[in-house]
Amino acid sequence: MEKEEIVNKLTPVFRKVFADNSLVITEELSALDVENWDSLSHMLLIAEVENEFAIKFKLKDLNKMANVGDMIAIISSKL
Amino acid sequence: MFLLAASYYFYINIKPVYALLLAGVTLTTYLFTNLIAKARSDRSKSLLLTGAVVLTLLPLFFFKYFNFVNEGIFTLLNYTGLHLSLPHLSLLLPVGVSFYTFMALGYTIDVYNEEIEAEKNFGIVALFLSFFPVVMSGPIERAPNMFQQFKGKLQFNYEMVVGGLKLMLWGYFMKLALADRLSIYIDAVFKNADQHVGSSLLLATLMQPIRVYGDLGGYSLIAIGCAKVMGINVIPNFNRPFFATTMSEFWRRWHISLIKWLTDYVYTPLSFAFRRYGVWGIVIALNLTFIISGAWHGAAFNFLVWGFIQGLALSVEMLTRKNKDAFEDRFNLRKRWWYILFGCVFTYLLFAFSLSFGGDAATVPEVLHIFKRIFTDSVHMPYKDGDTMLYGFLAFSIVFLKDFMEEYYPGRVLLFNNKNNTVRWLSYYCVIFLIFYLGIFSGEQFVYFQF
Repeated sequence: MEKEEIVNKLTPVFRKVFADNSLVITEELSALDVENWDSLSHMLLIAEVENEFAIKFKLKDLNKMANVGDMIAIISSKL
Repeated sequence: MFLLAASYYFYINIKPVYALLLAGVTLTTYLFTNLIAKARSDRSKSLLLTGAVVLTLLPLFFFKYFNFVNEGIFTLLNYTGLHLSLPHLSLLLPVGVSFYTFMALGYTIDVYNEEIEAEKNFGIVALFLSFFPVVMSGPIERAPNMFQQFKGKLQFNYEMVVGGLKLMLWGYFMKLALADRLSIYIDAVFKNADQHVGSSLLLATLMQPIRVYGDLGGYSLIAIGCAKVMGINVIPNFNRPFFATTMSEFWRRWHISLIKWLTDYVYTPLSFAFRRYGVWGIVIALNLTFIISGAWHGAAFNFLVWGFIQGLALSVEMLTRKNKDAFEDRFNLRKRWWYILFGCVFTYLLFAFSLSFGGDAATVPEVLHIFKRIFTDSVHMPYKDGDTMLYGFLAFSIVFLKDFMEEYYPGRVLLFNNKNNTVRWLSYYCVIFLIFYLGIFSGEQFVYFQF
């Protein structure tokens, strides 16, 4: 799956979890940029992303996600 | 090498046999981390991790939880009509075992998660787990921070030596003038709780958090300062906890090294494992984490209650956070001094009452009885111990004032770090004088040495 395609699929998931319909996903986006992105919503996001792509993350992957770019790289490695 | 020898010399001086235990945990950690790093398949890696975790936890479980589990199981069996028992073991808990066990586990999990490479130099791992300023009572250090510093060349650094000595001086003040002074009152009341009126019990309950802050907070500063004198930076353990306006903020300021450890190695894996259950998964993870924290503090039912109260309070805060934020925004409350004060007082009271369950002295029914007395028998004047109350109040005022200024007016009043030599030296002498004047010198133990 292309990066762009992944971003397109991620956007509605992010918007739903962070309750923000204007959220725009970039590779540099991280928890610091989104108001509601705390440890609670992070886990909810992880679960939703797994559902959307029908993949399973490992705890190890979680530690390596510093921003959305890292997340996209990990998702595409699992598809 | 010298530091390692000094650390073992220090530890052996406390109790020689237990140094073997420390050496055993070190050897296990060294062997397993290197095996994990070499293992090819994910399966063998996780098998090795499981083995390492079980072996590392073994001494802690044996010394700390043997009697608790033993008596718990056989009491249950008694109900079913089976009268069996294993002997009650009266073992002294090896000093620092709770602390170096956690440090060893943290390092092993870091290697498994590929956050750090397995260390090939046995001396570095041994020094990490026995480093004498922190081996007794923390702060619970992390391998990435310490290995890097141990590998560098340790040089005499005037700034660090002086900085370290200042921290130690303040640590001694907190321990000797504040914690040990308040202990006199608290112990006098709680050791004979039945003979004291409710208001004395209330006063002692309210003093408890300040005593632990003086004790563990003071100890931590001495440990951090001592390491700093030798050129090693150790992570902080307290950050003016009584200015937290919520419990979740409180736990980012109180016993920080333990909470960060629990967050990384217990809460995160648990909430990850329960992520399918949404918000409730997080609530379960939060509560389990604090119940484990309670069990770490002591092997008794009351510590589990203590942990459960923390977990519950944090869950409620988490679930109501959005509404609370909206409410604060609507009435523009966040900068109002009275709203901040209310938050601080409420958090303090919640913690003070929960702390009644977090001690060795009282069982759950006893604590509940004390609470009942506090709310029904507080019309009389509390027990007066003039000297203790006066000196304790003085010491507390000084600590409170220092923390208050640093919290709300940072950099405004400098004493230990004043540019003027006279002010600086005067303040050192002042604190030294106050330690002798207000301090207790009867060889009180540190509360956390028992954990």
